[in-house]
Amino acid sequence: MKFAYYPGCASLAITKEYNATTLLIAEMLGIELVEMVRANCCGAALFNDQNRELNLTMSARIFAQAEEMGCDILTLCNTCLMVMSRAKKELEDNPEMLKAINDNLAKAGLKYNGDVKINHLLWVIIRDIGLDRIKKLVTRPLKGLNIGAYYGCHILRPSDAVVFDNPDAPNSLDNLISALGGTPVEYAGKTRCCGFQLDLVSPEIAHRMVGKRILDCKESGGECMVTPCPLCHINLDSYQGYANKLLGVKLDMPIFNLSQLIGFAFGLSVSDMEFSKHLVSPESLLKTKDLV
Amino acid sequence: MKIKVKIKRCDPMASGRCEAYIQGYDIKAKKGMTVLDALIWIKDRLDGTLAFRRSCRSAICGSCAMMINGNPKLACKTQILKEFEKRQEILIAPLGNFSIIKDLVVDLTPLWKKINKIEPWLNPVGEPPETGWIISREEAQRIDNESACIMCGVCNGGCNSQEGDPDFIGPSACAKSYRFVGDVRDGSKFKRLEKISREHGIWNCMRCLMCNQYCPKGVYPMTAIEKLRAEAIGEGIVDNFGVRHVDAMVESVRRVGRLDEAMYTFKSLGFLRAVGMLPLGIRLELHGKMPHPVIFPEIDGIEELRELMKTVEEKE
Ligand code: FES
Repeated sequence: MKFAYYPGCASLAITKEYNATTLLIAEMLGIELVEMVRANCCGAALFNDQNRELNLTMSARIFAQAEEMGCDILTLCNTCLMVMSRAKKELEDNPEMLKAINDNLAKAGLKYNGDVKINHLLWVIIRDIGLDRIKKLVTRPLKGLNIGAYYGCHILRPSDAVVFDNPDAPNSLDNLISALGGTPVEYAGKTRCCGFQLDLVSPEIAHRMVGKRILDCKESGGECMVTPCPLCHINLDSYQGYANKLLGVKLDMPIFNLSQLIGFAFGLSVSDMEFSKHLVSPESLLKTKDLV
Repeated sequence: MKIKVKIKRCDPMASGRCEAYIQGYDIKAKKGMTVLDALIWIKDRLDGTLAFRRSCRSAICGSCAMMINGNPKLACKTQILKEFEKRQEILIAPLGNFSIIKDLVVDLTPLWKKINKIEPWLNPVGEPPETGWIISREEAQRIDNESACIMCGVCNGGCNSQEGDPDFIGPSACAKSYRFVGDVRDGSKFKRLEKISREHGIWNCMRCLMCNQYCPKGVYPMTAIEKLRAEAIGEGIVDNFGVRHVDAMVESVRRVGRLDEAMYTFKSLGFLRAVGMLPLGIRLELHGKMPHPVIFPEIDGIEELRELMKTVEEKE
């Protein structure tokens, strides 16, 4: 199983622990990840606000490189997934536009044939690896841990382009939690937004969203949360302090990224999982559950 | 198939407070039955006190928007068994982000006020020609999606930005605004764009895509917001944090091929607001998360990328 690996900008910088832990579990699962070192940033949904053709060209440049590598794309980021999937669909629906974009790409010696598939790590784990194999690799079941699956937005919507879970009632991440021995928590906000895109535009609104999502999960019995998206992780973990201040609460909610939760259940060490990179440490929670 | 329909109810008019409770009704759901059919049956046979809005029963009038298993939908366009299958239960609640009048009836006044704000009428460019306006197919198609809005409020009811900021102009008013901004007969494009670029306007959409996902008429409000933003930038309406955010991103990609978070944060926020984030920056640094603020490695092939961006941008 080989993929053109597009971790996304965040996981190469501020959430670098997501990239590092992914490489560890990929090896255990036999997923070969060939990093796309020439690939550009997808634009995090911002290119469209300036120039729709630029948005499509930037995505198509990534697709063309993946085609050259002869692999489908695997990303860690919900927003990269959505931006590229939406661009792929736009190019599929509009052959004239595809031609125009390919004219642009030709100047860089590239061509997009329309064959690339874009995957999220979560999808590959559920669909290609399968939860049975995951269960067999678990050596440290997350027993007694009540975990809120936080899907976020862009791994579900728009479902005409991002096609995997049922956007109304997703269950992939919940099922994964169960397979790892944990207990998934049902709460209302799991498919709603963390506010990331307003972090630098209207920070207070973004912080309020962070607080609301975590509070909702906590009130439903969640002791920690897991997200497949590095951007959600930045908000829920790094900005939790702002949310505490704004709402006058003490949330203290550890947030795992997808690969950390899997790797930890596979028996990898706390230091390998780089929990120390989080602003809200999960270690005392894991200790009370006798998991470390 | 026998199912229990759970409905979130409350009657603030009678009690003065909104103390919501869930009431269950057992019904026999048939294939093809809509949620609205079920509600009408319940009101008819089981409980005449249940309040909800409806008129056309065919997704035209826009009266029956509500939360169905947590998502905003039209009751008359949603099949109850299909919805039941997704979660093995069905919970119907009043439309989100609005205050409740009774049961499933919400107060839509804020929706009308917001739509009113964008002047939902044509401000003609000048006297219409004697022949009347002749609009080409392409010109009409530009605002085809936005023209299909039935003002049901589904998009505002699901909107995350409106949840975080009740004054946010909202996806429905944005779609309506583009319906006129994109109309060749309208003469107030600049004024419209200038107004909707202000606080609580287009730049406060957090791109959660709820509106594009759940709009029952294919209006795609978030796409309309993207088009409004591009038009506003094109008209030079750039003095706001939203545009700085976009510029910082594009510049970062041009410089290093990807997102240089430290630089991007600094440029988006401006000096003063960025200084306010220093304590967080220090904590991030202590946790080994902080990307190096100045030297950020370029991707391989950066020259080729810059050329490509230039090619596209010069086309404009
Ligand atoms: S009753 Fe008219 S839209 Fe549902």
